[in-house]
Amino acid sequence: MILHTLNTSPSSPAFADCIRLLRKGDALLLLGDGVYAAIKGTRACIELNNSGAELYLLQPDTAAAGLQNRIDDTLTPVDYEGFVALTERFPKQQAWY
Amino acid sequence: MSTINKKSLLVVVRHSPYGSSLARTSLEVALSSATFDQDVGLLFIGDGVLQLLPEQDSSTIGVRNIARLIASFPLYDLETLFADKAALAQYGLDLQELPEKLQLLDDDAMANLFKCYDHILSF
Repeated sequence: MILHTLNTSPSSPAFADCIRLLRKGDALLLLGDGVYAAIKGTRACIELNNSGAELYLLQPDTAAAGLQNRIDDTLTPVDYEGFVALTERFPKQQAWY
Repeated sequence: MSTINKKSLLVVVRHSPYGSSLARTSLEVALSSATFDQDVGLLFIGDGVLQLLPEQDSSTIGVRNIARLIASFPLYDLETLFADKAALAQYGLDLQELPEKLQLLDDDAMANLFKCYDHILSF
């Protein structure tokens, strides 16, 4: 079980690589420009949902991007403490950037 | 006294608002050129369209708000704005929530825009 973090937009090679290796039982935290993958109804968001992984996004970065009312309900917003809690639950991390 | 020739400038913006300093820099270049009464156009292409999202609240990450900067453009007579239609669709953005003067362009129209301006600055 891996915690993946993604901080680049869905148009990046990092997003494509992340999707290829994301598996059920893993968790993905979107942060920075990664939050744009959470926009409801977009192809990127559908690909995230198809992965079967637990999906999280960093709330402060989501607000900065202006996505408060656009994110898919399958993603769970977390604050910085939630981010730390995820790193405790998943000892191994893969950062896509 | 030297003669000042007025040239047209297209500022091409390809990056998201907070991933780097490129967005902020490009908008400041456009604003300062407009302040000097130059004929400036701004083209938001690819991830650059993400700068047009209206509800940005950058207080959460401690930087200045790009959406507010864009909203101030009419005060500087900077009203020639173009955006990549395909990228807007990719991110699910609707026309009615975007700046009023924004013109949506397909690939051919964007290619043609490059030909219409004297200078291009790309960010």
